[in-house]
Amino acid sequence: MKKVVFAIILVLILGTSLVKNSTKAIEDKIFMVNENIRPLKSELGDILLEYNYLSSPDKLTQYQTQYFEKDLVKIDITKIKKLTKKSNDIKVSDFLEKIIDER
Amino acid sequence: MKDKKNNIFLEEYENEFSYKKSKTNLNIEFNRIAFIFFIFLVISIIYSTQLLHLGSLKIQNEIKPSITKKNYRADIIDRNGNYLVKTVSSIDVGINPIEVIDKKKLLINLQLIFPNKNYIKISKKLEKNKYFYLEKKITADNYEKIMMLGDKSIKSEEKLTRIYPQKNLFSHIIGQIDDDNNGISGLEKSFDKKLKQIGEPLQLTVDTDIQFLIREELIKFHSIFRSKGSAAILMNVNNGEIISMVSYPDFDLNKRETVNDIDFINRATKGVYELGSVFKTFTVAAGLEEGLIKTDTEFLNLEKRLKCGKNIISEYDKKIPSDLTVEQILIRSGNIGSVRIAQKLEIDKLKLFLEKIGILSKIDFDIEEVGEPIPFRWGKCKLATVSFGHGITTTPLQLAKGYAIIANGGFEIKPSLIKKNLEDNQNQKRIIKEGVSKQINEILRKIVTTKEGTAGFANIKGYEVGGKTGTAEKSIAGGYTRKAKVNTFASIFPTSKPKYVMIVLLDEPKTSEDYIYKYKNKSGSYKGTPFNTAGWTSVEVAGKIIQKIGPILATKYIEN
Repeated sequence: MKKVVFAIILVLILGTSLVKNSTKAIEDKIFMVNENIRPLKSELGDILLEYNYLSSPDKLTQYQTQYFEKDLVKIDITKIKKLTKKSNDIKVSDFLEKIIDER
Repeated sequence: MKDKKNNIFLEEYENEFSYKKSKTNLNIEFNRIAFIFFIFLVISIIYSTQLLHLGSLKIQNEIKPSITKKNYRADIIDRNGNYLVKTVSSIDVGINPIEVIDKKKLLINLQLIFPNKNYIKISKKLEKNKYFYLEKKITADNYEKIMMLGDKSIKSEEKLTRIYPQKNLFSHIIGQIDDDNNGISGLEKSFDKKLKQIGEPLQLTVDTDIQFLIREELIKFHSIFRSKGSAAILMNVNNGEIISMVSYPDFDLNKRETVNDIDFINRATKGVYELGSVFKTFTVAAGLEEGLIKTDTEFLNLEKRLKCGKNIISEYDKKIPSDLTVEQILIRSGNIGSVRIAQKLEIDKLKLFLEKIGILSKIDFDIEEVGEPIPFRWGKCKLATVSFGHGITTTPLQLAKGYAIIANGGFEIKPSLIKKNLEDNQNQKRIIKEGVSKQINEILRKIVTTKEGTAGFANIKGYEVGGKTGTAEKSIAGGYTRKAKVNTFASIFPTSKPKYVMIVLLDEPKTSEDYIYKYKNKSGSYKGTPFNTAGWTSVEVAGKIIQKIGPILATKYIEN
């Protein structure tokens, strides 16, 4: 009985120190990764901001008038097609299955 | 013998005198060791618990990494993750002339980095021995170059700046901040505390592309109809998510100008208007809800004019028949018919219905710039005028909410700008009977598709648009003026299973002589605006908007 209790206590102490050591190692790794992610996140944010600005509808319209002669046209929803892939076949159908009440 | 008798028997009492570890002693020893180990165990448990606690604390801290930074505010993104507002750090570079060792050498070096600067001015500033900024918001390349000079007099300061890449597009929604980093309007004000605390961006329900397209149309028609201002709201009827909310004129948030002109108010939420006939939908819906009328209930011998106190109520359409069904009253926008329905309802029932759909009281919304409907005293004449939307005021946002509830099957919704990923009608209370919704939606569709309807220009192929027009004269001291009108179109689409409600409001539009209308329900076109009514103004704007945003809504939000 005594030995069992000693053994359990010893195992617990050893276990705690091992867990603590491994946790510390993991924490160090997490810290390193976080530190590496931080500038990347900041860079991504800045690039995304630039992308959002340059691809904003306002800018795209500006580029369109600057570089293209033709005006943009509205898409007619009745002309939008839907592609459905079944095994190797691609089925083309109208996006709107039916136009209700076209009066 | 005697000896024998006196024999002394020596017995060994070895057991009694020898040292023997008693059982009690052994227990004490064992308990001591166990006690020591127990203490160790307790310490190790405390230590482990502390470790776990510290570990969890670290995770919490990681969520808000830069909150302690001065002037920090979280970014704001749209429903697709595009930046609407971003806090970026910028570096300003200045020179402290006192610390300059060789002024000539410094100027030559600076000329190499910033060749376009006025060096006569800089030279004069250097003479004054007072700190000055050389370059604000310096680029990363130039910052590196200037720091490579290694001059002690060159100082850099990191600053946080709020950037609005969409400029004017969301000015009324986002709002402004002051120089002390406090929100003074819009979401910047109402979410001021949260924006300073959260680490992750605040996601809104709005869509940048749709907002742009709607604003473009409002700007275009602002010049065609020379209106004082305009507003549009596009909302999901099933969860109250606002996809677009535009109020024009607006302002560029990047300029950080003080906006005091009343023309720049948020007409969509702050503007309180008498909206006219768009209220007839509520009167009819209330009648259907109470079971007092059916869509085919006939009202016979309707007068052309009614006198109520000092006021005369008349029909706008002089050709309107005297015998009308409830459906025809709504389609033809009959004033007298609406009065008769309201009279059947009586004050309490109409008032209760309007309260239920959130028309009468101030709405609880995500931004603080919300108008409060003007309170009034109900009476017989008030009941009559309220039935067709006069003598009662509300905001376009509340109108959108009312139409959304009627269109979505009668579920309570809360208009929102903040993305919460709510599923349609989730945990929502039904406040109007489902049947009412279906009947009204069918009538709203007929207003757009039939010859008698007032909103034919919104009949855009493929979208099943339904809606009600409202032309209201603006009130002035002692009455109304015909010169200033508020033209509104409240639309829902697709009417067979409504997903969106869209309100288009034009504040004081004028007729246009040159604009060419293309008929939707018949062939041909018409030049010039014959009447300054919603049917010839706001409906046309709404039709053009739906034509543009429709394909995006239909394809992008197909799963929603």
